Amino acid sequence: MEFFEFYRKDRWPHQFCPGCGLGTIMNTMYKAFNDLKMDINKTVFVSGIGCTGRVPGYINADSVHTTHGRALAFATGIKLARPDLNVIVISGDGDLFAIGGNHIIHAARRNIDIKVIAVNNATYGLTGGQLAPTTPYNMITTTSPYGNREYPFALADLVAAAGANYVARWTTAHPNQLVNSLKQAFTTRGFSFVEVVSQCPVNFGRRNKMGDPVFHLRWIKEHAIPISKVSFDVKTPYEILDLNTKGIYIIGELVRRNRPVYGEALSEEEEESVPME
Amino acid sequence: MFPVINTDYCKGCNLCVEVCPKAVFVQGKNITSRGYFSPVVVYKERCTDYSLKKGERILCEICWLTCPEHAIEYEVE
Amino acid sequence: MLTPGRYFLSGNVATAEAALLAGCRFYAGYPITPSSELMEHMSGRIENEGGVFIQTEDEISAIAAVIGAAMTGTKSMTATSGPGFSLMQENLGYAAMTETPIVIVDVMRGGPSTGQVTVVAQGDVLQARFGSHGDYETIVLAPNSVQELFDLTIKAFNLSIMFRNPVILLSDAELAHMTEKITVPEKIDLVGFNDIEIEGIPKFTPLGIGGKLAITGLTHNEKGYPITTDVQVHRKLVTRIVNKITKNEPIISDVEIINPEADTLIVSYGISSRAAYPVIKKHKDVGLFRPRTLWPFPESKFKEIAKNKKIIVVEMNLRGYGLEVERVGRKYGAKDFEYINLIGGEVPKPYQIEEVL
Repeated sequence: MEFFEFYRKDRWPHQFCPGCGLGTIMNTMYKAFNDLKMDINKTVFVSGIGCTGRVPGYINADSVHTTHGRALAFATGIKLARPDLNVIVISGDGDLFAIGGNHIIHAARRNIDIKVIAVNNATYGLTGGQLAPTTPYNMITTTSPYGNREYPFALADLVAAAGANYVARWTTAHPNQLVNSLKQAFTTRGFSFVEVVSQCPVNFGRRNKMGDPVFHLRWIKEHAIPISKVSFDVKTPYEILDLNTKGIYIIGELVRRNRPVYGEALSEEEEESVPME
Repeated sequence: MFPVINTDYCKGCNLCVEVCPKAVFVQGKNITSRGYFSPVVVYKERCTDYSLKKGERILCEICWLTCPEHAIEYEVE
Repeated sequence: MLTPGRYFLSGNVATAEAALLAGCRFYAGYPITPSSELMEHMSGRIENEGGVFIQTEDEISAIAAVIGAAMTGTKSMTATSGPGFSLMQENLGYAAMTETPIVIVDVMRGGPSTGQVTVVAQGDVLQARFGSHGDYETIVLAPNSVQELFDLTIKAFNLSIMFRNPVILLSDAELAHMTEKITVPEKIDLVGFNDIEIEGIPKFTPLGIGGKLAITGLTHNEKGYPITTDVQVHRKLVTRIVNKITKNEPIISDVEIINPEADTLIVSYGISSRAAYPVIKKHKDVGLFRPRTLWPFPESKFKEIAKNKKIIVVEMNLRGYGLEVERVGRKYGAKDFEYINLIGGEVPKPYQIEEVL
């Protein structure tokens, strides 16, 4: 599949700001999709509101741009009504975790077969750079002009705790790893979640001395630590969360497991194993 | 093979300059028709010299993957 | 599914059974008194018919899942009550904007807020029409017996598919818990997707058949691409989704009229209209105008009989349907308006209507 068979050429170039990480994520999505040779006619892309919510509109497939925060609820309906379709949700951190926080933990708890790409740019980009639940401590946004006094969510860890089958975190500075991770997510049965830390130089970086996309990308790279390099004594979950509150992103594959999937018939062995969990 | 920048799409973010391991790109000084300072491919001969496998010349494609605008294409020499 | 014949069912169960007969194969909901029995009944029955049931984490999620399922061409519904219906309003507007056929059963209870949980009211009449922001239209049906609850549920699915629009069935706490005899007819007329062509309504394409649909709640052009700053695109789109309902009001509207020549006309709907029948029997100069379709207002039927009438609006809210009745009534020459507004769970009684005659 050519790039412009996957994306709608009549809508190109896209509306995102210069240096936005979403373009990189769109490339990696295309590459993962193309490498797996998935059927684009059997895939539905669902998104909420926000910059990231506009991505499915560029994809040359069935795309549903829903109301703010409800992408996963819509996706649940689509997946249950047509279990043969691949349902991929791509949405931002504010959409999935602030207004839609309830939906994502319940979708992960049900372990419904939906793939989620959560683009974490640490701010509300579309509305002008307000404080998001993912903004690191002390960072300046338009609604925290003296620095953020709240601690950020660790998105991937939250979803892992809620019960997803595949959870990974990567950044736009690691596109090749991201492609592999997306491929793994698309092929895993059950709720798969990939958090992508992305740059927003215009509305977040600009107020934090990273107005140049290059500086913002460097900042992300410096604050990303591979999970294999996190020293053993801080590997208890709480200490990993403490690192997150310091604005450090632990990248890599956090969870891969095989819990029973919602809506799929269980074999006898699996039925026996459920109460044990 | 070497990269070419499509100035119809390029928005001049210079991420290709940052990520290229062989410094093929250089920040541009001339304004494009869309009003951006697009980077230029100066050292194209360096590109495929960067081999990931021993004895083979492979594109790392990192600029293609990173470019948010899909402005980088590859041309055969 | 129910076979043709006579049954003795409660309102909630009759609604659920009618939905199954109408082809509903997706139900998402969140428990809320007084609609819970509908959901409980559905949870046990829908999977026997090859459908899907899910209990979601809140009402917002319920309606979103219903819209998502409806986009795949599955007949879908949810049921809720006042507080849940308030939560659904945003996505109700989304369904109207994206022209997705869904059915919402709103079992009305006393409001505002948590209000009176277990007793009857008709306070959601205006919310069902005006609840979401911006210009849009809904089709709202109001039955007054369990038999009608059954019939109008099937009609709700047909109308939603014909007009590609959300349809709201306004049941209430009294009807939902009332058990009455119903007749399931031999033949049930069902409308399929794209069966009837109506001007201004585009063909329905479900997700997942390679249609490459771009669905968005933003103002969009015919391709589905968002174009939010063009005056003409917005005007064309919103005018069309409003006109497809208002222009077709004569087809949609369904009313019961008794004694249209009488000088006095009782206008009532739903459970409160049942107080009017004994009054009409006793007083020959009193008529009844009972819309089964509350919205769009059955103007084409009302204008023929409204001239020089004294109109008595009987309903269980303080300011509701009377506002619209008065507006349309004055337009067509009605003389006088009286209102019987009862709240608190008291169903109107015939003597209360006789007092204002």
